[in-house]
Amino acid sequence: MNLIRAELLKLRTTSMWWIFAVILLPLWGLAVGYNWLAAEVTLSTDGPLGGGDMGFGSLERVVAGLYTSGQFSGVLLVMLLSAILVTSEFFHLTATSTFLATPRRELVIAAKMVIGVLVALTFWLITTVLNLAVGPLVLSGLGASAHLDAPEVWQAIALNGLVHVLWSLVGVGAGVLIRSQIGAVITLAVVYIIGTQVLQVVFFALSTYVWEPFLALRILVPTLASDLLISGPQLAEDPPRWVGGLILVGYAAITSIVGTLITKQRDIS
Amino acid sequence: MSQPGYEGITVEHLTKQYHRVRAVDDLSFTVHPGRVTGFLGPNGAGKTTALRMILGLVTPTAGTATVGGARYVDLPDPLRHVGAVLEASSAHRGRSARNHLRVICRAAGLPDSRADEVLTMVGLNTVGTRKFKGYSLGMKQRLGIAAAMLGDPRVLILDEPTNGLDPEGIRWMRDLLRALAAEGRTVLVSSHLLAEMQQLADDVVIIAAGRLIRQGPVAEVLGNTAGAARVRVRTPQAEQLAAVLRDAQLQVSADPDGALRVFGADPARVGQLAFAAGVELHELIGENADLERAFLELTAGKAGAR
Ligand SMILES: Nc1ncnc2c1ncn2[C@@H]1O[C@H](COP(=O)(O)OP(=O)(O)OP(=O)(O)O)[C@@H](O)[C@H]1O
Ligand SMILES: [Mg+2]
Repeated sequence: MNLIRAELLKLRTTSMWWIFAVILLPLWGLAVGYNWLAAEVTLSTDGPLGGGDMGFGSLERVVAGLYTSGQFSGVLLVMLLSAILVTSEFFHLTATSTFLATPRRELVIAAKMVIGVLVALTFWLITTVLNLAVGPLVLSGLGASAHLDAPEVWQAIALNGLVHVLWSLVGVGAGVLIRSQIGAVITLAVVYIIGTQVLQVVFFALSTYVWEPFLALRILVPTLASDLLISGPQLAEDPPRWVGGLILVGYAAITSIVGTLITKQRDIS
Repeated sequence: MSQPGYEGITVEHLTKQYHRVRAVDDLSFTVHPGRVTGFLGPNGAGKTTALRMILGLVTPTAGTATVGGARYVDLPDPLRHVGAVLEASSAHRGRSARNHLRVICRAAGLPDSRADEVLTMVGLNTVGTRKFKGYSLGMKQRLGIAAAMLGDPRVLILDEPTNGLDPEGIRWMRDLLRALAAEGRTVLVSSHLLAEMQQLADDVVIIAAGRLIRQGPVAEVLGNTAGAARVRVRTPQAEQLAAVLRDAQLQVSADPDGALRVFGADPARVGQLAFAAGVELHELIGENADLERAFLELTAGKAGAR
């Protein structure tokens, strides 16, 4: 508990968290704009009852997307901030004083995971409150109901929180494993932003030219696992949602366990 | 050596092998409470590595280091037992000194008020809210000491704490460490400033190339080396005096200007021997024991960065 208080104070006493929060707002605005457009197109082509497909999916999906606006950027920022919780200790040479106060290094990493989860929930809460304020306005402007009584909307919001949390744990784990601040940030951002497309192509190619079942393995790509968790299976042979969540938990566990074992051995100098 | 209340440092066969370099090589020594122990060695001797191993920051290849009978990593409240000031220790550039200390307080379960107390103690209370990036080298060094004192520890380990301090700061540090040792605390301090160490330390541990060269009370280490007290004497009958002194089991050498240098005796003894032999003296000067000279002799040929 002392450690969690210490880590929280560390986060609060540097400018990092509010810089990230300030970056989040315009990105969230863009996402709302995009989802607004998607809602408008979907509603105008298919009428308020929905059911058609304009490339944005069903009306339920579009509405759920509107209420989880800012997910892509929010998750990215939460993950990077979580990684920086760890890497800044080495970047600013504060690891010495941290590990002098707490020689059991695994406890420090565990405390950072708690902070990562708190950051994830805070960012999720911010965008969710904004979405719940803006979403009904957008929908009523388009002549549709607010859909706040639809269970899919609340499920989407809850899953949104879950992916924020899971990716923050992946972020802490990656920070422990990579340790270099710039290295960790770039690796995570690249994997998260472009990795999905590139790896999806790789898996499609593998399944086409090498062995068909490779396609099912593509959900091992963390971002695709995340998509599975949020959107549910897209192809008939895809596994159920919770498998996606499990894969993300697996990434968080593997990176942080391996990273912690390495950190325990590492010389701090 | 782990009787209750014993708060010394015991290093046994400590070894650290880096990729190519054996930074610390089968090093054993003890540091006693109530005394200031100087930890001396040329650049690259392995002082920093040894201190970091004592503090559990670097994993030894072999051997053990204990503080008050326990390994640092096994101490329940390490900061309440041991305070450390290390070279490369630092604070987040964007965080204020006060917040840096408060973070440590929280991790160690100490009240936040300790942060302000130690800032006052090191004279940084007026600049405590300033960000670390605006600190001068001397201010950083003082902040390091403040952090070490947070838990009011019985054992202090300092790696070149006088680096970057002005003369007044060095004196302040010397008085502080002496006072802490006088309260019965254990103080282990590494330094290059040998004149400084001679005024400060009760004991010394001298290492070179990772190995122990000599350890013991300063006077004892000096007594056995070129650093010992010596006498410069000038006489027209140099050869006769040299013979007399050698007969008295004293070591004698000739300076280039013809004066004699006598080791292991004070001016009174040299004067008395000369008088008894009827030798006329023109100059008789006692030179004090000198840690720097002793250090250079002991580490000659073993120094050099590795
Ligand atoms: N992390 C490391 N990796 C490889 N070699 C190292 C590492 N740290 C120290 N060394 C080597 O170990 C030896 C001892 O270094 P150390 O810093 O302990 O010396 P020191 O006595 O503190 O020197 P100085 O007086 O210059 O501070 C040096 O040869 C150094 O090059
Ligand atoms: Mg050093």
